[in-house]
Amino acid sequence: MTEQLAAALAAEEAAIYAYGVIGVRLSDADEVSRARACELEHRRRRDELVDRLDELRASTAPAPPAYRLPFEVADREDALKLAVHVEDGVAQAWRALLPVTDGDERADPLSYLTDSAVRATRWRRIAEVTPLTMAFPGRPG
Amino acid sequence: MVLTGRVLSTSRRLLLGTALSATALAGCGLLDRTPAPDPLPDPLQPLLDEALALAAAYDRVILADAALAARLTPLADDHRAHATELARVIGTTAPSAAPPASAPAGAADTTATLRKAEQAAQKTAMAACKAAPRERAGLAGSIAACRATHAEALR
Repeated sequence: MTEQLAAALAAEEAAIYAYGVIGVRLSDADEVSRARACELEHRRRRDELVDRLDELRASTAPAPPAYRLPFEVADREDALKLAVHVEDGVAQAWRALLPVTDGDERADPLSYLTDSAVRATRWRRIAEVTPLTMAFPGRPG
Repeated sequence: MVLTGRVLSTSRRLLLGTALSATALAGCGLLDRTPAPDPLPDPLQPLLDEALALAAAYDRVILADAALAARLTPLADDHRAHATELARVIGTTAPSAAPPASAPAGAADTTATLRKAEQAAQKTAMAACKAAPRERAGLAGSIAACRATHAEALR
């Protein structure tokens, strides 16, 4: 499980970085505040994961100082696309915790998987990307 | 005398025990097999039933208002994908038609009732995910998350 927790931590750290980039490219007040709220949620989860891994006495690789973005983010459209991409990726990381946990241990991973999937749907709606949903959020591939 | 008596009573107990267990075996049906009762339904069966019922509910709404087709068809397709995958995991074939609908017959479905149904179905899937063995937890979790995104898409 430590391995999956570490992967979730890496995904959350990447999301925090990405929302910084996204925020710069958005100007609509509602979109900016949504991006900010997402970033705060990812920071909260990051802190939770750091504590959890600390409890497990697991060492994790430090977050890289910079990330290579999956594509160039030059405008609002790119920023919204990146937000969708990030939430889909975070959903995958949390889903990976489900087959390595049992019962109530699954509550948080399931809730974060669901939350990221719903955020991705919201960003798709804002970006006017269809379809708004995918059949198996978080499933790799 | 005392010693012999104890030995005797022990062997009698043994004999009695053997006779009893033979009766018990016969009673268990090991010697006289009766047809096995129907196996319990698979714990994921309610998810499969819901997926089919939801897909059918979307179809009814689209039939009543064709203007909603573009918006709702992808959501109905998600449910059909769930049904296919669940049937594969359960080891059954998904019926093409919905089973007797859990929704009251005759009640008109709208995007609002679909949204309520998605929220209820999300709860079923969440519970199924928590109860599932490890190899099924990811599938049930993705279905729960998908149902939540549908409720969001129907806002």
